[in-house]
Amino acid sequence: MRAGGEGSRERILARVARAAASRGRLSHPGALATPAGADPVAGFVKCFTSSGGEVVKADRGRPANEWLTDFLQALEPEVVGVAVGPEVPADLRPRLPDVAAAHAGAGISVAWGAVSESGSLILPSTGTRAVQLLPPVHVVWVPEGRVFARMEDALRELLDGLPAAVGLHSGPSKSADIGRTVVTGVHGPGRCMVVFI
Amino acid sequence: MIRDYAARSREIIRDEPGVREAVTGATIAFDEKRRKGYAEVDADAWRRWAEGVKNHTLTHLDHYLTEAEARLQANGAQVHWAADAAEAREIVIGLATRRAVASVVKGKSMVTEEIDLNPSLEAAGIEVIETDLGEYVLQLLEEPPSHILGPALHKSLRQVQDLFAERLNTAPDGDPDTLARAAREVLRNAFIDADMGITGANFLVAETGTVALIENEGNIRLTTSLPRVHVAVVGIEKLLPRMTDLAGFLQLTARAATGQPIGCFVSLIQGPAADPGDDGPEEVHVVLVDNGRTDVLAHEHAWEALRCVRCGACLNACPVYRQTGGHAYGHVYSGPIGSVLDPGLLGLHEAMPLPFASSLCGACQDACPVRIPIPELLLEWRKEAQDEGLTPWKERAALAGLASVATRPGLYRLAGRIGSRLGTTGAARALPMLGEWARDRALPKPSPRTFRQLWREGIE
Repeated sequence: MRAGGEGSRERILARVARAAASRGRLSHPGALATPAGADPVAGFVKCFTSSGGEVVKADRGRPANEWLTDFLQALEPEVVGVAVGPEVPADLRPRLPDVAAAHAGAGISVAWGAVSESGSLILPSTGTRAVQLLPPVHVVWVPEGRVFARMEDALRELLDGLPAAVGLHSGPSKSADIGRTVVTGVHGPGRCMVVFI
Repeated sequence: MIRDYAARSREIIRDEPGVREAVTGATIAFDEKRRKGYAEVDADAWRRWAEGVKNHTLTHLDHYLTEAEARLQANGAQVHWAADAAEAREIVIGLATRRAVASVVKGKSMVTEEIDLNPSLEAAGIEVIETDLGEYVLQLLEEPPSHILGPALHKSLRQVQDLFAERLNTAPDGDPDTLARAAREVLRNAFIDADMGITGANFLVAETGTVALIENEGNIRLTTSLPRVHVAVVGIEKLLPRMTDLAGFLQLTARAATGQPIGCFVSLIQGPAADPGDDGPEEVHVVLVDNGRTDVLAHEHAWEALRCVRCGACLNACPVYRQTGGHAYGHVYSGPIGSVLDPGLLGLHEAMPLPFASSLCGACQDACPVRIPIPELLLEWRKEAQDEGLTPWKERAALAGLASVATRPGLYRLAGRIGSRLGTTGAARALPMLGEWARDRALPKPSPRTFRQLWREGIE
């Protein structure tokens, strides 16, 4: 390697400092005040579904894992094996065989929270990333009380104990790169389903 | 080559009419979505805020760069500094060699195009696979991207059908869904086999050392999650002070780019996998790249172009870009933002005649989420080009001629009378000096009477 490294660091920082000093240092404008909707859950559902995400109502008269098992078996194509994140408690795991994420019909996760204004699920890397990304269907349990009105509120709370990585999922994987036609499930899950708990 | 801009434009318009049709259609659709996305929020207030945050960051960049570096290191990531493209390439290849990397998957990244990374990796015997669907199409065709957001938007469905039929054995009339599925199969295996994932970054948050990446396909999430090493190549202007700033920029950038409230997938990466159960990369490297950015930062006017978030909104709004797409421009950053950024990054001499590739209509500035005054910057670059004698000598002679006519009343009267009888653009093109000016312009039909005649007759 050339004699870059530390020399480059110092040179870049010195040039940056010189430019800033000659221009004067400008102040930060403060927070961006985006409006907080009155009903965060309704706002989330509207935004998430308009970008192709699905919100499914569980049958609350039955145990959640039984309901999810039947739901996954009724999907087309039927889900046979699942990949389940380590954060998913036993009572939210479907009664289906666990398989590697690359071969699973569905991935099951629990979101850390969700954002109403952008329709986003917040998925920390403490869950398994392959579960969130590789299966064609991703089912995400979302605690209803964890829907933040604004992205700023969610990210501020996330600062405490920020994991190595966080994924914000706001709909199914899509692309319009071929012939300007939108196709789903290009790389990530083609269906992203939320169930509130 | 940038200097072939005019000739390349003429060739594309004449020989490849499909490009103009595809690019115009796609950019108008993007622009309409952007307008709708802006209309749903108080876009003027958001844009003023974003301009302010970027100006603050750029004038405190030394502070935020060192803060980001310290945070990343505390998170277990490694930070590298590259003064230019060659050094950035050496750093990445050094990392790949050290970890015995045989294959690399890449997420769409403008800065890795800028530093021409792929050929160097390939020369080092490393397989490189572009995983964004549009980039994958272009890699098979051995073409560079033509648009920041839709790298292959100049390609028609027919062209992709032919390409995939030949390379992936799809049916010759496969629909986009079938074609995408065929690509997914190839690329899914590439993700699983790759030793290293390389991406750019939309933002780097100083407070947390967060590399933030926005996308719709999920290929960047896979690129940053599955391989054991992740390298993010990041221009030094990508800094944001805090996570709360990122909250605004994630949403504004998406609205400017595609009108969406946010990209379908956002990756926020702080460092290598640390928690038990996290299957992310063992190593995360951030390569901070200057490559001309500190020159732009030092420029009296052009520094404002460093606010750019690479959303592509100015390309979509530009009537000049729509005619040719990005390839005519001869550099990775094309369209209006390329025409103001390239002279700063490469030197004005290298970037001629891009500051002149604009009608100065101002649509780019109205679309820009960080309010870069692109028309003003174009004029500044034009003025510098004139001062440094970089404009064609005939045009300089024409302007000098105009100045001498305009400052001599007798000559001006005579010229006015000749002008009023010219009638057509064709006649103007035949004249010395004026001809140079009229060559690439359609002139309005002159009034049959000069302004001085009208004035004497008592116009209102």
